[in-house]
Order: sequence, then C-alpha cells, then structure tokens
Amino acid sequence: MRSVALIALVLLAIPAPALAHDIPDSAVVQAFLKPEGDRLRFLIRVPLEAMADIEVPRRGQGYIDLANADAALRAAAIVWIGRQVAIYEEGTRLAEPVLMAVQVSLPSDLSFREYETAHAHVTGTRLADDVDLYWEQAFLDASFEYPIASDQSRFAINPGLRTLAQRVTLSLRLLTPDGGDRAFQLHDDPGLVQLDPRWHQAAGRFVTSGFAHILDGTDHLLFLLCLVIPLRRMRTLVAVVTSFTAAHSVTLIASAYGVAPDALWFPPLVETLIAASIVYMALENIVAANVMHRWVITFAFGLVHGFGFSFALRDTLQFAGSHLLTSLLAFNVGVEAGQLLVLLLVVPVLNLLFRHVVAERTGTIVLSAIVAHTAWHWMTERGAQLLLFPAPALDAAFLLAAVRWTMGLVIAGGVIWIARILWPSGFRWTRETL
Amino acid sequence: MTKKHLLVAGTFVVLLGALAVTESVLNQRVDAQEAGGTVRAPRFEVDPLWPKPLPNNWILGQAIGVWADEQDLVWIVHRGSATLADTEKALELKNGECCAAAPPVLAFDAAGNLVRSWGGPGQGYDWPSANHGIFVDHLGSVWIGGNGPGDSHLVKFTKDGKFLQQFGRPDARRGPPNAQGQPTYVGGSNDQQNFGRIAKIFVDPKANEAFLADGYLNKRVAVVDGASGKMKRYWGAYGNKPDDTPVPAYDPAAPPAQQFRNPVHCAMLSLDGLLYVCDRNSDRLQVFKPDGTFVREVFITRGTKASGSVWDVAFSRDPQQQYLYVTDGMNNRVYVLRRDTLEVLTSFGTGGRQPGQFFGVHSIASDSKGNLYTTETWEGKRLQKFVYRGIASVPRRHQGVVWPRS
Repeated sequence: MRSVALIALVLLAIPAPALAHDIPDSAVVQAFLKPEGDRLRFLIRVPLEAMADIEVPRRGQGYIDLANADAALRAAAIVWIGRQVAIYEEGTRLAEPVLMAVQVSLPSDLSFREYETAHAHVTGTRLADDVDLYWEQAFLDASFEYPIASDQSRFAINPGLRTLAQRVTLSLRLLTPDGGDRAFQLHDDPGLVQLDPRWHQAAGRFVTSGFAHILDGTDHLLFLLCLVIPLRRMRTLVAVVTSFTAAHSVTLIASAYGVAPDALWFPPLVETLIAASIVYMALENIVAANVMHRWVITFAFGLVHGFGFSFALRDTLQFAGSHLLTSLLAFNVGVEAGQLLVLLLVVPVLNLLFRHVVAERTGTIVLSAIVAHTAWHWMTERGAQLLLFPAPALDAAFLLAAVRWTMGLVIAGGVIWIARILWPSGFRWTRETL
Repeated sequence: MTKKHLLVAGTFVVLLGALAVTESVLNQRVDAQEAGGTVRAPRFEVDPLWPKPLPNNWILGQAIGVWADEQDLVWIVHRGSATLADTEKALELKNGECCAAAPPVLAFDAAGNLVRSWGGPGQGYDWPSANHGIFVDHLGSVWIGGNGPGDSHLVKFTKDGKFLQQFGRPDARRGPPNAQGQPTYVGGSNDQQNFGRIAKIFVDPKANEAFLADGYLNKRVAVVDGASGKMKRYWGAYGNKPDDTPVPAYDPAAPPAQQFRNPVHCAMLSLDGLLYVCDRNSDRLQVFKPDGTFVREVFITRGTKASGSVWDVAFSRDPQQQYLYVTDGMNNRVYVLRRDTLEVLTSFGTGGRQPGQFFGVHSIASDSKGNLYTTETWEGKRLQKFVYRGIASVPRRHQGVVWPRS
C-alpha cells in the first residue's frame, strides 16, 4: 500500500514527457510483443538516460540507490512507456496496460536477445543493492500486459517514443501464437505500423512507397526524360516504360530474395551504372541513333535500376508482413504509376516546346546535353567511390563466377527467343510500335 | 521450325555445352586450389569508408587503445597533441586551419559516426600523462590506463566522461633524480597500492575483478577488485613472483626469460576462464588461469626483435571464442589463431598507409557481429574496421591486404 502511494505521488510530480531535459543524441529501444490467450505481453528495454525527468534515487558518485529506486522506476515505466505506446487490436486502441514488473539492468546484460530470457530477466531477481551502477548507464526493463479479445487478432503499434532522444530506434519483435517471429526496426516516429498487415494493407503501403520513390529519385526521372525526348507517342512510350518496369521488377524481386551480391562494392557499382545509363541515353538522343530497339537497351538498364530500387526498399520490407511478393509487385506498380504520371506531364510540355519555342532536333540536342552533363558528374563521382575498391583478381574463382553468370544470361536469352517463336503476337509491338 | 531456327537452336546448345564444360573444369581447379594452400578461418575485409571523417578539423595522435562495448559502440583512446608534429596541429598553434588534436576518448557508432568525445586533465583526478588502453566494463564504466613516466594509476569514468574513481596515485614509482637531474622511475611489481604504467585493462563481469597488464614499468599481471581497486593477487611470467631485475634484451635463440619483459601489453580473459597475456617484446603469449596458474605459452614470429610481435589480443565472438586475433605492430599484421591449439592459421595486413595496411598496429577489439577494429600508434595514428565475412577458405599463410571483394 505504501509503495502504491509512493508511485501515485511520483506520478503526480512528473509532467508528461516533454522536450525539457537534455535529450540524448540517440536511444535504442528493444521490445517484444507476444499475444497469449486473452492477454498481450509487452516487454521493453529503454536506456534510463532517455528518461531524464525521472529523479532516480542516487548515492555516491551518481550510482542508482537500488534499495530505494523501485517507486521511481515504476513511475518512469508508466509515464514514459505505458502511457505513450499505443497498441491496436483489429483497429481499436487497447486500454492503458498494466505494469507487471520493472527492473534496472546492467549495460552488459544480453537477456533481451530472446523473448524467453528477457521475460525471465524482467520478472527475476533484481540487482544487488551494493552494485555501483551509474544511473545514466542503466537500462530500464519493464513488462506490461494488455487485455485482448484474441491472440489471433491482428495488431498494430504507434510507438510514441519520439521524445526519448534525437534519434530513436525501436527494435521490435512480434511473436505470434503459431510460432512466427516478425522483426521490425522502426525509427523516430513511424506512425501506425501494422504488425501483421492484410495483403491489401501491405500492397497499399508499397504502391505509395513506389510512387513516392520514383518521384523523389532524380536519377530515375532523368532516365525517363531521356526516353521521352525523342519518343513522345504515348503508346510507344508506354511500351518502353513497361519494358523498363518489367526489367527492374526482375532484379528488385531477385534482390529481395537474396540473389544480389552482398558486397561493399556492389551499391557503388549499381549507382555508377545508373548514372552511365542516363549518359548513354542522352548521347543516343544527341547522335540521333536508331531508337527502334530502345526497348531492348531500356530493358537492360532496367535491370540495373532494379538493384538501385532494392537498396531503397531494404529497410521497408519489414512492413510487408507475410506478403513479400505482393509488396514487391505493389512497389513496382507504384513505380509504374509514378512514371506514367511523369509522362503525362512531360510529353505535352515537350510537344508544346518543340512546336512553339525551339525546333525538335535542336531542342532534343540541348535538353539531352543538359541531362548528359548532369549525369556525367554523377557517374564520375560515383565511379570515384567505386574505384576505392580494387578490381577483382582474374583468377579461377573469378572466371568461374563469370562463366556461371554467362550461362544464366544465355539461358535467359534462349527463353526469350523461344517465347518469341511460340507467341509472335506478344512481341509484335517491339517491331511495329517503335 | 525453319532452317534458321534450327541453326540458332544448335548454336545455343553448343554454346551452353561449352560453357558447362568450362564451368566444370574451373570448378575442379578452384576446389583443388582451396584444398591445397587454404585453411578454414574467419575471413575479413577492410571497410575503407569507416569511420567517417572527424568534425572540427580534429586529428588523431597515436591511437593506443580500442574497445567495442556491448552496444557495439567502438571506443578508442589516443595520445593527442603530445604525439602530433607541429605540421599536424596548425590549428592548435594558430598557424592555419588544420588541424587540432581530438579529445583523447572517442566513441563511434556502427555507421562510423563520432558519437562521444571527451577526456583529458580535470579536477578531482589525475589524467595519465600518456593514456594507454581503454576498456568499457559490464557496468558501462570506462577504464583508462597510462604509460607516461609517472603513470602508476588508472582512472575510471562514466560513458559521457564524468569521473568515477582512480586507483593508485601518480608518481608512486618515482625515484631520486639521476646525474643530469632528471627524475628516474623504478619498477615496483610487488606494490599492493600502485601500479607501473598500465598498458591494458580487462574486467571480468562475473567476479567484478579487473585484470591489469602492468605494464610498461612493472612486470606483472595485477588483479584488483573492480569496485574498490583493492589488490587481490598478482604474478609474473609462468606464474612466478614478479621481479623487477632488468631482463636481457630479447634473443630468439636464448632460453625463454622467466620474467616478463616490458611491456606486459595485454591481459584478456576468455569466457571459459583463460587469461591471455601479451609479453610483447618476448614475442610470446602466455596463458593462465584467473588465479595465476600458468597453463601454456606460444611464440609468434619468434625472430622479431625491438618492439616484439605480440601486442594485443581479441577473441572471436562465437560462444566458444574459437579464434584469437593478435596484433603485431612490428611486422604490421593481424594473426588469426585457433584458441584451442594456439596454431597460427593465417594473418592479414601489410605495412603501409592505405586501407587494410598498418603502421604500428597496436590494439584490437571485436564487436558482437565479429567485426574487428584496430588502432595504430607511431605514425599510423588511425582506427580501422575489418568486416567479418564468416568462416571461409583463406590462404593458409599470409593474406596481405584484405581488400573488399565479395
């Protein structure tokens, strides 16, 4: 009873979390969510220094007075976590949770690597009173429980931990009753996160993401502009852009399934090739090359751009839930939609420009030169990064890898060739529309 | 199916067949090469882009300590301005814009960003005149030793640089001035209160005992209580009672010395309770139980003279700590040893200033992902990261520079 009164007193004295104290530069928070029957257990570990409004009893040089810290720690858990974290069951926010246990932990404690050890730790024996633990170096561990309708429900979370530090990283794992283990890494204020999204929720999120990414990607947009300048018939363009989308879908999906090389030099190589693809397209426009087979080169460059998209997607695939392929396809749909929107805006402007301001040929050369100039700088800057890595040794292992890649390309070429023979109508546009 | 189709199909089959044969031949050759001159061991690649540039035109002096804490923050300690030439610290001297010594204690996150910087003299404690070695214990406290002339103590701080404790007092080993009037310092390897230029510290979280490589003046391993600093036990080479009588210069052909030479440069405790001690200038690593019982020793690159070949030790981060990593600042390489046999499996690094090369590679630490971090003294003055690429076939002897490849 006495401790309840103490907590109440502390709670009254503590304001809601605000940006009033010295905010740490960064805070890493670890958490587990586990629905079991009619309750949802929430284990969380937060650096105590991120809760600086809490006056933890101290002794000596600033060591936590562990014998007398319990009330302050429980208050900190309620104010900084229990009241901030919003959890939803089937779209309805759950009531404030019950705090089941709270602990102070050493910075070297590793029990939060797994749910079982974390739970045993939080509910286990507390540190001895005479441990000299400087208060800012401790973790606060807490166990909360939420009453729920069913452990089969779909849950969502809005962490609300933004005020802990300048940069907040939440490593969250959802452990489902069927043994599933889904990991999330959320940064700062991620908003409402569906922990087990339905396919349409995941698809919606990734369509939006793909749409935003293409509109935000200057290099992809410049590549698109290069395609547009000499080919402004919408039907033609749709075919070429679709070729681009099909190609980047292949490498994007392949990357998501771990096929892409996991090497330090690979991202700079891809970024350099993306810049080179823009330079090539722009130069091709200037020299008025035959653009009849542009869909082929667009397909090839699309493969490279797909790897580029995969770097952007790397951190967001956690939101796909169990719908990885759907989400990847949805991302591509978003990209395609973004590209078509750009075409709808740019093509009429170019038509007007070439009709009323500058002759088409001159305009094509000037615009392409500007694009080539910009992309050339990107290419040299990114190439400089790439050149920090050495050229691979031309040994047997390298040749073996090269032969295997060549075999893959030959097989892919063979499949396309057979498809063209078997379904000539499906490939007629490549000859007729360009 | 036309004639042309048949021709293309035939070409396709022949091409694929030729590639398959080539693939098979190359595969056999690669297997044969791997079976001959290679060994299964941890493989590393230098990360040439880590860490990121320091802010404020800061520059490192001799970097003589590194540790990766439980949150994988990488801590280093360096000697700062005292080890910078005037041409390196024009900003400090107000001669130009580049550069000024960074604070002695720096911490970097996994992305290579500088996230903490502090250290140096202050009120209430005696900052070592030449700080040396850094360790972050299970309570998050940062321990720092020193090998300056009068450094016979260590200091302990919080992670953001608030002073916590000091064990020992400076100048405890100071003797009478010599004929030129210069102070002299004598070893005190049986001193219960003070130390003799501590090179490195390791705190055993289970017993809260600090193992001190003591050091550059003393010739012992000292074990003190982590909370009070009270001496618990100490010993010399082979577990002998330490003796400060000068040991002759190292001769690889002579019988091994029965005492440590200076400096005793590392003391690292494994999870299974074996203490690895670097007798740097004797080219040897001695293994003890935590109570000082001698277990075994191994010599590495035994012909190395002057500053020796066994500088610092880190453990691989698998539960069994199957591998040991040993830095050698004279030969500028890192050795990879099997911990159970102490056999050197391979080594990497060469002398030089490019990524993956070393100039006086001094200290080493491993993070939770198995990545390695090294610091360099003398004119090396830098921190490098080597990304762990798993257990793989690597050249049995020396790998040279481990550039990024795949």
